[in-house]
Amino acid sequence: MENIAIGIGLAVGIAGLGVGIGQGLAANGGLQGMARQPEAGKQINNSMLLALVFLELVFLLTFVLGFLLMGKIH
Amino acid sequence: MNKFALLGLGAIFIIIGFVVKDQSWTRPEMFAGLQLDLGKTITNIGVFLLFIPVINMYFYVPLKEAMDARNHELESTFTEAEQLRVQMQTLKSDYEARLIKTEAEARETIQNQIKEAQNLRQQLMSEAADRADALIRSAQAEIEQEKNQTIATIRTHVVDLTLAAAQKVIGENMDSEKNRRLIAEFIETVEVAS
Amino acid sequence: MDLLQQLNLPLAEAAEKEIGWNIFFYSGLVFAIVLVFATLAKKDLKNRVFTSLPTRLAEHLYLFLEGMTVNVIGPNGKKYVPFLLAIWTFIFTGNIMGLLLQATPTADWSLNIGMAVITVVYVQYEGIKANGLLGHIKHFSGPKLGGFMILVSGLIFVVEIVSECMKLVSLSLRLYGNIEGGHIVRSSLDSIIAGVPIGGLLLPIKFFTCLIQAFVWTILTCTYLSIATSHGHDDEHEGDHGHQPALTEAHA
Repeated sequence: MENIAIGIGLAVGIAGLGVGIGQGLAANGGLQGMARQPEAGKQINNSMLLALVFLELVFLLTFVLGFLLMGKIH
Repeated sequence: MNKFALLGLGAIFIIIGFVVKDQSWTRPEMFAGLQLDLGKTITNIGVFLLFIPVINMYFYVPLKEAMDARNHELESTFTEAEQLRVQMQTLKSDYEARLIKTEAEARETIQNQIKEAQNLRQQLMSEAADRADALIRSAQAEIEQEKNQTIATIRTHVVDLTLAAAQKVIGENMDSEKNRRLIAEFIETVEVAS
Repeated sequence: MDLLQQLNLPLAEAAEKEIGWNIFFYSGLVFAIVLVFATLAKKDLKNRVFTSLPTRLAEHLYLFLEGMTVNVIGPNGKKYVPFLLAIWTFIFTGNIMGLLLQATPTADWSLNIGMAVITVVYVQYEGIKANGLLGHIKHFSGPKLGGFMILVSGLIFVVEIVSECMKLVSLSLRLYGNIEGGHIVRSSLDSIIAGVPIGGLLLPIKFFTCLIQAFVWTILTCTYLSIATSHGHDDEHEGDHGHQPALTEAHA
């Protein structure tokens, strides 16, 4: 039981680490593009948000996995 | 899709959701941690199917109509302003054309007047000259007539004088009628010299 | 369970928090708030210039959604605005309610699946309406391939069907994870020092999340719609024509 709880914490933490780095990279690229071409800012902003959203999905899957595992604790 | 069909479908879904609420298959064991309840899902499908047409009819359609009407009004105002501008332009050009025409007419009238006045002056001058001529001519004729008359008078006087003088010179026996005729004939011939 | 109870983690409390079917009271509340807002906004619609705040907000919302559809789908995307308006208002109102109340329909995965199902079904419906049933099914099989490559088309078909189902999961999970995760983080922070609501400091970023999640759901719906309603090869030329003015505009 304790193993599962520790596993949940680890899973969420590691997923947060990876997704944080990935989203940082995506935001980096998007913001650089916007700084270089301010007139294309809106399009880049939309695309960047979409990319961030898809990256976030990875974390959310881990989050849900944690919930599923929490169901096994009971 | 028909809005009332959506409403009916939503109601049906809500009813189904409440009917299956207590059945065990709506809560899969695997998703217990997430508290998945398919009965709630079905009910929410119904709620949302109700929500879409209600929002569409109550909120979207009036908003869209009002905004369209406003846009239409703005557009019509713009076109109206444009039309007014065009109308004003035509009026202005009309007015300018009329102004030019009036100016030309006025100039022509003035020219005509000047010409007429000149004509009148010419006419008056020629009339005056004519009358002066006529006056001169009549005066000359009068003078001629006076001269002729004076000559005739003088002639008769001369005849009388000559007769008187001849009477005195030649005596009383001469037929005065015959002498008078002789003298007159003589004077006729003399006249050339005068 | 022992460990969680020993540490008295709020995570466990949040997981055990049971709203159950009372959640539909909150759904009705969202419904009521949106209708009240709509009523307030409709008051000012007769004026030539919208001056009251709700009406201006509604106008901006409409223009925002319209701009999004035109950007993503193209000039014929305006007919999808009603659906997007319903989705946006429901999610945004639910999210904002979640900041203030203990439960909200958008923080419950079961309810989010319902909305995702409607979204996906609506996208399929519009795709069938735009391309016909056969054309819509052809859409799933990727580009036209001849000969034995038909097997590849079959494979693509299966993958596309799976990805459609994944749309369902990803849409619902994204909203659920963001909103419910925010609630969990907030209650965790609140319970660090009893009686001091430190979690309140998260309110600005949570408000931002609310906005972003409503935006993300609508823009993803737009993207799905633009993929489902495109006309394959015929549309590419039309698309070129459609993009040319934009390009020249950008260059100018």
